[in-house]
Amino acid sequence: MKRRTLLSAALALGLTTAFTPIMAVAADALPVLLPPWVTLPKEMTDKYTAKTSGTLDIQTLGWDEIRTKIVTSMMASKAPASATEMDWSWVGQFGSAGWYDDLSGILTDEMKADLPTTSIFTFDGKLIGVPYNNDFRVMIYNKGHLAKAGIATAPTTPDELLAAAKAIKEKGVVEHPIGLPLSATEGSATAWYLLTKAFGGDLFDADLKPLFVDPESAGYKAMAFEVAALKDGLIDPAATSLKDVEIQELFKSGKITFDIAGWAGNLAVYTDASKSQVAEDAAAALVPNVNGKSRTIGLPGALGVPVSAGDKETAHAFINWMLDADTMIDNYTKLGNLPTRLSVLKQLNDEGKLKQGDVLIEQAGVVEPLFAGGTPGWYPEFSGAVATNLNAAAKGQISVDDAVKAIAAAAEEAQQ
Amino acid sequence: MTSSFVSKRAFLGREARLGLWLSAPIILIMGGLVILPLIVTVVDSFFRVEPMKMGTPFVGLRNYIALMTDPNVLQSWTNTLVYVVISVTIETLGGLAAALLLNRSGSARRWLLAIVILPWCLPPVVNAIIWLWIYNPSYGLLNGLLQSVGLISENQVWFNDRFTGLVLVSVVHAWRMMPLTAIILLAALQSIPFTLYEAARLDGATPWRQFSLITLPLISSGLAIALSQSTVFAFNLFDEAWILNGSSMDTRSIMVQVYMMAFQNLKFSLGMALSILAMIASLAVSALYVLRVYKETRFD
Amino acid sequence: MRRLGFYLGCAVLILWSLGPVYWSLVTSLTPPNALVSDQLHLWPQQITLEHYGKLFGATSTSQGNEVQSVWPQFSRALFNSVLTSLLATVVTVVIAAFGAWAFVRLRFPGRDTMFVLIVATLGVPAYTVMIPLYRIMIGAGLVDTYLGVTLIYVSAFLPLALWLMRSVYQAMPLSLEEAAWLDGASKLYTLVRIVLPLAGPGLMATAILTFLSAWGQFMVPLVFSPTLSTKPLTVLIPEFVTRNYVDYGLMNAAGIVAIVPPALLVLFLNRFLVQGLMAGASK
Repeated sequence: MKRRTLLSAALALGLTTAFTPIMAVAADALPVLLPPWVTLPKEMTDKYTAKTSGTLDIQTLGWDEIRTKIVTSMMASKAPASATEMDWSWVGQFGSAGWYDDLSGILTDEMKADLPTTSIFTFDGKLIGVPYNNDFRVMIYNKGHLAKAGIATAPTTPDELLAAAKAIKEKGVVEHPIGLPLSATEGSATAWYLLTKAFGGDLFDADLKPLFVDPESAGYKAMAFEVAALKDGLIDPAATSLKDVEIQELFKSGKITFDIAGWAGNLAVYTDASKSQVAEDAAAALVPNVNGKSRTIGLPGALGVPVSAGDKETAHAFINWMLDADTMIDNYTKLGNLPTRLSVLKQLNDEGKLKQGDVLIEQAGVVEPLFAGGTPGWYPEFSGAVATNLNAAAKGQISVDDAVKAIAAAAEEAQQ
Repeated sequence: MTSSFVSKRAFLGREARLGLWLSAPIILIMGGLVILPLIVTVVDSFFRVEPMKMGTPFVGLRNYIALMTDPNVLQSWTNTLVYVVISVTIETLGGLAAALLLNRSGSARRWLLAIVILPWCLPPVVNAIIWLWIYNPSYGLLNGLLQSVGLISENQVWFNDRFTGLVLVSVVHAWRMMPLTAIILLAALQSIPFTLYEAARLDGATPWRQFSLITLPLISSGLAIALSQSTVFAFNLFDEAWILNGSSMDTRSIMVQVYMMAFQNLKFSLGMALSILAMIASLAVSALYVLRVYKETRFD
Repeated sequence: MRRLGFYLGCAVLILWSLGPVYWSLVTSLTPPNALVSDQLHLWPQQITLEHYGKLFGATSTSQGNEVQSVWPQFSRALFNSVLTSLLATVVTVVIAAFGAWAFVRLRFPGRDTMFVLIVATLGVPAYTVMIPLYRIMIGAGLVDTYLGVTLIYVSAFLPLALWLMRSVYQAMPLSLEEAAWLDGASKLYTLVRIVLPLAGPGLMATAILTFLSAWGQFMVPLVFSPTLSTKPLTVLIPEFVTRNYVDYGLMNAAGIVAIVPPALLVLFLNRFLVQGLMAGASK
């Protein structure tokens, strides 16, 4: 470590003398780094100023870019901002790198109880992110298509789902009823994780040993289900090069009946007639499950404070403000970000502001983290292997058996 | 004419001093902002720099050895070589044709030139998204056009075939980068004295002979520049592969592999070692034709 | 026959260059819910200006909510893009015009080694130097300043500019300069008054290359221009992807607007690029 700091200090010194530095404008605004969908409107930042008498310097960056920015800054031992976005999938890496502060001290016990997803952001006993932006998966379907095929209720098990899809295809309602991304992207991997839960199993045991290699396992069945549905034409053959957002475009245009791994927050878009051609027919149902009891995964977003950040107390105040019921409601009504606090979710539903609220509340009650002990540091490597191998299996380049074995091998190697 | 005093000081004479003055900003900027950081990264690549692990022990060549045996890295090399061959070919042939047309087009040139450089004005993200739509298996322009001409009978999922995928990614890259080659070659064409062609025509040389005897040798240094830069850019191909086909092994380029190792998996020094190898490879390939061009066209 | 070939070539070139740009224009004019349709339409069935409205209007709607227009951000980013690209172009061209001439016409120690070394940095991938460079720029207080971004652009585009200008000077006959030297003019005076005007087309080509390379930069501003005070269009536009909705129309509209400044610049600079070097001398 010493060698690196010395070297960079020497470099910096040499260059400071070489170029006249222009000092950044001294501002006491709190720098925060957020994704574009949390670009807080002026109305909300005014409320922040009214409450804390501070101001915010909001930096927004696209999704892939935020991560690149944080990694570059932290590698250079400089905080990218005083508070930054923290995705559930980064927890293991940023936690074991020791880049983020433990925030458990800034939350009251009532608040912790109201935030069921904090466990996702706990690494090594430290809470390195405070969840403020909810995302979990529900099944979104087109009730008009179901009615045309003479099906009265949404499927509750994978078998019913398959039967419904076949009926819809046979009746000629749509050509490819099931929407699932199968390209080599993260969205395809998360859809497989969800289906693994739907088939009643888990990806890893408590010791993080892969559970999906056995042909009787849920993960294996889930992948076989995806590949078979693709072969039978229930999934559009184009899915092998479609990302999750493109599957959503298909749903909006009425090309598919089921968005199985639907994003809860997406209902607001699907039911908006200016964005969607199926606004009238879009409906949500619990994720089907072989045991009849729905399970789903939560992939929430959080806020974290880098260890090298300045003005940490103001950053803590900002995070607490983001958790205020009032802010969370604004965050949903103005920006479409679902609240993470159960009480706020209920309040929204009672006020009739939540689209398909009853289903969402019920589904939110059974949200599980993908990894019970927090997302491990090797997750991105594992997830990359899932995406590429699932894609190869869907294209018929390798068998499902080979794909799960390759994923398991990648997971074991990444864990070393 | 020259006294011994002057010739002794020639080493630091006025000419040398002026030369050093004029190149001082170049040395300062390139040294401080490229060479120094490069040295730091080269040094880092001999250590294990992984933020998720304690300490940064010296590992010698172990990062490089690990890269030699990683099957993903090997396939990325193959993909990148295919990208280089296809893109450089399209860019050079297309760019040369475009430059020749532009050189001849008289009064229409300002419009034609503006049209030719348009692909390069488009922000890279918008570029990739347009092509994503064009290649879309269900609604894309490519499927639609080919079907209406009757070349294919049903929609193709282009990226299901590895080689097709590589070609399509290369086309997007070449589409964006071709204006660069065209402008470099156009500048080279501009410096050919018109009188040479007149003399050749009087001697009865055919257009092809004029091209191969006058044009080609005289633009050879421009050609070397154009070839080198297109090779280097093709080795650095990232956006096109990443946006069009994600992390799929079929189209994964070396830079995508570097990104995944360093920024996604946080195996930082491993990624940096690979990026250094990519740099050496792209320079080696460029040097091949630069040296060849300079050797063959030395005529004083 | 030859004329026909020429026109055919021009037609192919125009189609190749404009086709995808045209497609982007069509997308930017299509209403969001009509983007995905079974029939392939080469021109839009209904035209909407709502995406441009979002860029230029005072307010707009997003996901059914009234939100602030993106115009303040967009205009700021457009300004940043133009400014940093222009700055980088001017600095690069000036340094390259003098430096490359020194590399060709003046003898000084380390000349050729230095030239090869500098041109070789063309092959350095952005990722390779990004993190050490970030440390340097933080140390110098240059992150999120126009000066910092400009300097990095210059360091990235100088090798190509230098090489190009060197080949331009090499192609110029030494006799012109020698005549001036014999008349007693200093070397620098000869360069400014005689050589540079003749190198016009080469300088313009270098300027266009540098401007457009800077215009399309993404990785560098992403890390070195984090806030709107220096953030360019290329970094702003991907932000139009919201988490559960890709605003294709808005992105393409922004792309079409982003095409305009460089295209105008090229139309303008072309006047200088046409004046062929020897065409003038042979008259």
